Amino acid sequence: MNEERDSQLSAMFDGELPGVECELLARRLTRDEALRAQWSRFAMIGAALRSERGVALHDRVAWRVQSLVAQEVTYGDGTADTAITSTRTSVLVPAGSVSASTRQRWLRFARPVAGASIAAGVAAMSIFWLRAQDNAQPTLASNAIPESVVLAPQTTGTTVALNNAPSVEARVSNGEPDRYVTPAPSSSANIAPPARLANYVVAHSEYSGPLSRRMALLGLVATDPSEVPATVDQSAEQGAAAGAPDAP
Amino acid sequence: MTVEESDLVLVKRVQRGDKTAFDLLVRKYQHKVVKLVLRYVRNPAEAEDIAQEAFIKAYRALPQFRGDSAFYTWMYRIAINTAKNSLASRDRSPIAYDLDLTDPEESHSVQTKLQDPDTPEGMALTEEIRLIVNSAIEALPEELKTAIVLRELDGLSYEEIAAAMECPVGTVRSRIFRAREAIDKRLREVFEGGLGRTEEMV
Repeated sequence: MNEERDSQLSAMFDGELPGVECELLARRLTRDEALRAQWSRFAMIGAALRSERGVALHDRVAWRVQSLVAQEVTYGDGTADTAITSTRTSVLVPAGSVSASTRQRWLRFARPVAGASIAAGVAAMSIFWLRAQDNAQPTLASNAIPESVVLAPQTTGTTVALNNAPSVEARVSNGEPDRYVTPAPSSSANIAPPARLANYVVAHSEYSGPLSRRMALLGLVATDPSEVPATVDQSAEQGAAAGAPDAP
Repeated sequence: MTVEESDLVLVKRVQRGDKTAFDLLVRKYQHKVVKLVLRYVRNPAEAEDIAQEAFIKAYRALPQFRGDSAFYTWMYRIAINTAKNSLASRDRSPIAYDLDLTDPEESHSVQTKLQDPDTPEGMALTEEIRLIVNSAIEALPEELKTAIVLRELDGLSYEEIAAAMECPVGTVRSRIFRAREAIDKRLREVFEGGLGRTEEMV
């Protein structure tokens, strides 16, 4: 195993190792001081063989450069998987020369946060828009819904204000309205049978999504102070409030 | 993969934040760079200082290195410029201009000067290493000796050596490795034994 690795080291020193193996061995070299020492000796053997006169066969230059480089800025984003804690020294770097790695790390953290903030903002805008739509709808609702329907209390605790409705029945108990009262039907209420629709929505609410259910209910909600809240009993409601002959 | 590509792997690691990869490049080329600088300055210690400065300059410029040329070629230019700047700042002339190397006496004097390491310890170690390497080479089997000499002295690639020795490239790789291993084994004994063995050997 070591012989194969040492053979690879020799080939890498000569630039004769395949790329992938070279990358892997380079990674290993950064972690293995013994292997680096062997690398140095290979360089020394070459220098000795070439009889480089005046050249001292030791690692003094490398050692001095290494200690100086330890005080220099580290490049990149630190993605090189190194075990260079032995050579990397914590240094104070001038503010202007702070490496891009710090900024990149900050951006990596800030991007999802910014995305979540934008999403939350859009959601909030949607809610406000929906509420504004709710306030704009009563004209149609008051015309369309001929009967009063008692609905299950909503958790929002809001009181629906109608422009053309005389008042809003807001039977508040514990701060929340316990029911909403639909206005009396107008003479032109022939768009749809609202009571049937309301009952349909209530009966099938468990199958509908919360947003669509809310939208449908908001369309039906109206108030009429003269109206006594009716029960869900459809025929009784219709007989008392509108006298419509086509009760289901 | 060529030497250039092999060095480029290390350069890219440095650019990604691996300082140890730069140390490997320095270890590989320090002797060549010092030898190069010695063409401009006489004193080996001064040559080492300049080589050191050149390597630091190279490290600082490494983010701009794109691999258009080989790392050593690039390093070579930096070392020469550093040596020239050093001479200019000290108002000296390169050794090539103020010495007559055709004169045997003066040439011998230069050679002697260049062989003088700055410390007795450095001199002892260098000489010891040289002796060991040369004796280890002589002791190698002929095919290993030929392979390592063609590689280190003649700078041939494995493919060229394979052609010259009429053997597969894999065999060349194995022979060069085994030659280095044999020499390295002797060197390790020296480093583990430390200094002071020189006199005994001599």
